[in-house]
Amino acid sequence: MTEITLNVNKKEYRLTVSEDALLLDVLRNNLGLTGTKRGCEVGECGACTVIMDGKTVNSCLVLAVQAQGSEIRTIEGVAENGKLHPVQQSFLEYDAVQCGFCTPGMVLSAVSLLEKKAHPEETEIKEAIAGNLCRCTGYQPIVKAIKAVGEK
Amino acid sequence: MHYYRAKNLKDILNLFESEGDRVHLIAGGTDVLVEARQKPLPQDAFLLDISQTADLRHINEQGQTIHIGASVTHQELAESALIRQSAPLLAQACRQIGSLQIRNRGTLGGNICNASPCADTVPPLLALNANVHIAGLQGKRTVPVAEFFDSPYHPLLNNGEVVSAVSFAKLEPTTRTAFYKLGRRKALAISRINMAVVFKMTEEGFLEDVRLAPGSVFPAWHRVSEAETFLENKKAQLSVFEEAGKLVADKMIAISGRRWSTPYKEPVVAALVKRTLAIAAGVYKGGKL
Ligand SMILES: Cc1cc2nc3c(=O)[nH]c(=O)nc-3n(C[C@H](O)[C@H](O)[C@H](O)COP(=O)(O)OP(=O)(O)OC[C@H]3O[C@@H](n4cnc5c(N)ncnc54)[C@H](O)[C@@H]3O)c2cc1C
Ligand code: FES
Ligand code: FES
Repeated sequence: MTEITLNVNKKEYRLTVSEDALLLDVLRNNLGLTGTKRGCEVGECGACTVIMDGKTVNSCLVLAVQAQGSEIRTIEGVAENGKLHPVQQSFLEYDAVQCGFCTPGMVLSAVSLLEKKAHPEETEIKEAIAGNLCRCTGYQPIVKAIKAVGEK
Repeated sequence: MHYYRAKNLKDILNLFESEGDRVHLIAGGTDVLVEARQKPLPQDAFLLDISQTADLRHINEQGQTIHIGASVTHQELAESALIRQSAPLLAQACRQIGSLQIRNRGTLGGNICNASPCADTVPPLLALNANVHIAGLQGKRTVPVAEFFDSPYHPLLNNGEVVSAVSFAKLEPTTRTAFYKLGRRKALAISRINMAVVFKMTEEGFLEDVRLAPGSVFPAWHRVSEAETFLENKKAQLSVFEEAGKLVADKMIAISGRRWSTPYKEPVVAALVKRTLAIAAGVYKGGKL
């Protein structure tokens, strides 16, 4: 066990974790941030996506100790002052959410893309969410929702 | 288990010295942590994190040579103006790896040291005649990438050694290159093939200095000298590329023998060689070849 400090959604947390604990597990179990979903746990589905120092990563493939010193953003940190993020709002408008399991990861991939590129092309959107699997929507509404944010 | 984040190369070597065989290197962790799910790391393992080691994070040019630190990520390579310009096939290969989340973590060093038969950066590095720079307790050494592998999943690294960088001569702007990848990583092994080519083309359209490196075709990585020699000074046209494709497929059968997968793989390999050469020469018009 080791003591670490994690910076999650602009808050500092002091925690004692096992060296082999995944960031995914620490977010969910120690911090109660269960918006980060546990899917395949081997980097294939993107349900566990978080933003680490401005880049999307699979939190099932990062150890909590490796995240020390980085700024982590989870889905819980996307809405601000009780107001949905434009991406979240757009997902609602375009019916881009069905079961919702992929949604947190999908939204974070979209947020990260839009912060780099305010008006992405459709191919860039598809590339940015290629690591986020959705079993329900067929992706079209998701791509449209992200595109609409860029066009606003 | 212990965890330590190396700040510089000296840190890494110090820990090799003090911790010996307990040291397990982790860079992006996209292979290590997937494998740890099947076979957990030993309880007394000393996990040495080299993903943020400053000495392994550079992309630069020194004269005519490009140097890439082992812990540079695939996404950084895909986005690097220098790599896109001086080794476009490597940038293309990196851009097609996994997903953005994987490319943001996975590193060049991890890709070649994991040495999976379908590692996407290996064929481009072979075609670039790249060198692998290794640092260890016994000092530094440099080996051509073609001599870096023993067999799949077994790079020729000793205990207490780390790959510090990869380097290769910058390609001239007129050099033609292509990288082509078929199939997904988790797809059946027989349908996972990748291919890298580099050549020069004279104004009259003749090929020179041809380098052709397929992945997942042979039991070990190497370029295909039979096809390279055949292509030298030939005209860049589809009939020639088709012939080269057959030579590569013949070589595959000569090395591996005929197997249950051969009827599928033989025409696919031949077609991929033809297609990749055609893309590099700018005569591929899309569709089936
Ligand atoms: C979902 C998914 C998709 C993927 N898709 C692809 C793909 O399309 N193409 C592809 O080629 N790969 C793919 N991979 C595999 C993997 O992402 C790559 O091989 C990646 O480059 C590994 O780099 P890493 O930094 O994550 O390595 P790690 O997991 O950190 O390390 C891998 C191995 O190399 C050793 N190592 C790392 N760096 C060094 C060094 N500098 N010196 C000595 N030893 C070292 C480690 O000890 C370990 O044994 C995929 C993986 C996942 C999970
Ligand atoms: S749970 Fe991490 S990618 Fe599937
Ligand atoms: S909405 Fe169900 S997985 Fe995407």
